[in-house]
Amino acid sequence: MIFTIFKKELIDTLRDKRTLMMMLVIPILIFPVLLNVFGGISASFKEKAANKVVKIGYIGEKNGYLYEKLENLPEQLGKKEIILYKDSTELKKAIQIDTLQIGLFVSPTFETHLKERKPAQVIVFFNGTEEGMRERAERYISVIEDIALQERYIEMNLKVSELTPITPKYSNVASTKEMIGKLAGGILPYIFIAFGFLGCMYPAIDLFTGEKERGTIETLLTTPVARWQILFGKMGVVVLSGVFAATAALLGLFLSIEVFNMVEDAALLDIVHEILSPKFILLLFSLLFPLIVFFAGIMIPVAIYAKSFKEAQSIITPINLIVVLPAMIGFFPGIKLTAITASIPVVNIVLSTKELIAGTLDYSLLGLSYLVMIIIAVIAVFVSYKQFDKETNIIV
Amino acid sequence: MIEIKDLRKEFVLSKQQRKELNTTDSIATAVDGISLNCQPGRVFSLLGPNGAGKTTTLRMISTIFKPTSGEITIAGVDAIKYPREARKKIGFLTGSTGLYARLTPNELIQYFADLYNVPKKEFEERKDYLYTLLDMHDFQGKRIGKLSTGMKQKVSICRTMIHDPEVVVFDEPTSGLDVITAENIIELIRSCKNDGKTVIFSSHIMSEVDLLCDDLAIIHKGKMLYNGEMSSFKKEMQSDNLTEEFIRIVKSNSAQS
Repeated sequence: MIFTIFKKELIDTLRDKRTLMMMLVIPILIFPVLLNVFGGISASFKEKAANKVVKIGYIGEKNGYLYEKLENLPEQLGKKEIILYKDSTELKKAIQIDTLQIGLFVSPTFETHLKERKPAQVIVFFNGTEEGMRERAERYISVIEDIALQERYIEMNLKVSELTPITPKYSNVASTKEMIGKLAGGILPYIFIAFGFLGCMYPAIDLFTGEKERGTIETLLTTPVARWQILFGKMGVVVLSGVFAATAALLGLFLSIEVFNMVEDAALLDIVHEILSPKFILLLFSLLFPLIVFFAGIMIPVAIYAKSFKEAQSIITPINLIVVLPAMIGFFPGIKLTAITASIPVVNIVLSTKELIAGTLDYSLLGLSYLVMIIIAVIAVFVSYKQFDKETNIIV
Repeated sequence: MIEIKDLRKEFVLSKQQRKELNTTDSIATAVDGISLNCQPGRVFSLLGPNGAGKTTTLRMISTIFKPTSGEITIAGVDAIKYPREARKKIGFLTGSTGLYARLTPNELIQYFADLYNVPKKEFEERKDYLYTLLDMHDFQGKRIGKLSTGMKQKVSICRTMIHDPEVVVFDEPTSGLDVITAENIIELIRSCKNDGKTVIFSSHIMSEVDLLCDDLAIIHKGKMLYNGEMSSFKKEMQSDNLTEEFIRIVKSNSAQS
């Protein structure tokens, strides 16, 4: 009987355009769209920044040391145009209105101090609201400072090695896979969790509140089928829809990488291939399954209680925020899977997946995460059963 | 056969409901100790104004609601102890029944036949008989959402009768239907009676009651005001017609209480 109900509800659900959109179309498109948009924006910003000709206002001697060095800096450090200024107020104004991006005020004592091997002062003006201009100025000055330092070493007959007592070499022992896992690994489970939730939402409302609203529940309850069988048949479809939505998101990710070639960096592509192994996907789904049962278990009582689609939607939407927001914890690099975080539903799924991606998963903590998820899923199913058994809830 | 003894149904009122009903009582009694007996091959009509307790009574008979107290026997089965067994013998149709719009009549009828565990051969015969009787062959494969009200009503009837129930419960089955569509229901009730089935239906359309029923009960505020044969009711009438007599009985009861 459960299968009869499940089969009918699945056909009914798959014929609902709204559910299909949320369950298949949007999740499939999410990764290609995200990668395309972010990839495009980031590439365009980089290109723009690299090609931008920075106008530098210069107050000081035209044949001075700094001017000469600045003019001769290689173009790889960023294209530039130097404009001579006499008045610092005008220079600042020009920077404010973006006629100039950087201003250099070279102290009148600059040349003398340089010759006397004293610190020579230069004031660098920039507009803090213009992204990257301070960094560009720092890059120019630091290169010129290095040149001046080298010249001074030669003048003073000093060896650079003698002036460098310690040469630290920093070596990262974490693999790139681990770095990606720890720093960005939270995004993947977050998207699966979000779509798992959304995938459950419309079928839950449609199969419970919708049945009340359309006046079909009464007839169903007069058939010789136990209420728990009706509940389980319907719940099966809600859970399957959530799993479908998460799978569709994974399929979208696969299409972005393998079909649309959206990851161009070969080294990164290798790591992504290594991460998305069958073992990883299997473990991810085994973690997602109890979570989606839990989602179904919290949505169904609401859907049973609500008298209209609108009412159900208005209650479930804030629940979405409460339940899915903890998944964002995975975005913070410092938070690890411990006995405490493994006991927090949703958070444990995100952190387990993150550790899984990084290849640093402690399987005893994974076991604890499973246990916690299964317990809350069972509780949620029990609450659904109690609600569905309440006659005043299911009859409008 | 349907036998009901001292049937009672109470609902616990929520704070919101108490406010809406302007009462301080925490419990509302929808059905207050009614007893009745519906015989096979006869049509029993349950009459009463809105809120009288007709729908609650029929929902208890159909085992959707569990009575607070009392006894219900459906075709020899104790419906309170064995609700699933009782449901196998019941066909249930209300005027507000909806259908699954995204399914076709074929899929819907198959679904309900499966839920009632109708054997395949029996199902095919029964389906063919009902499709021919109701002239449903032409639209059997179309989505229900695209059918006219009359066609939908035929699908509802077919769904109610697919498992050949011994007892048929109709809750205001013609409400909201035009005369032509309502005629299908009237015909169905007649054919159920001729087939020896037990029929109980609720209505407040007196012409329908006059046309169909053999026995009737009038309930008001959950209490039974009259229970007897239609012929006796007509003989005992103090008003000129059924509608006026019905109003008289309800009003005199309201005045007494």
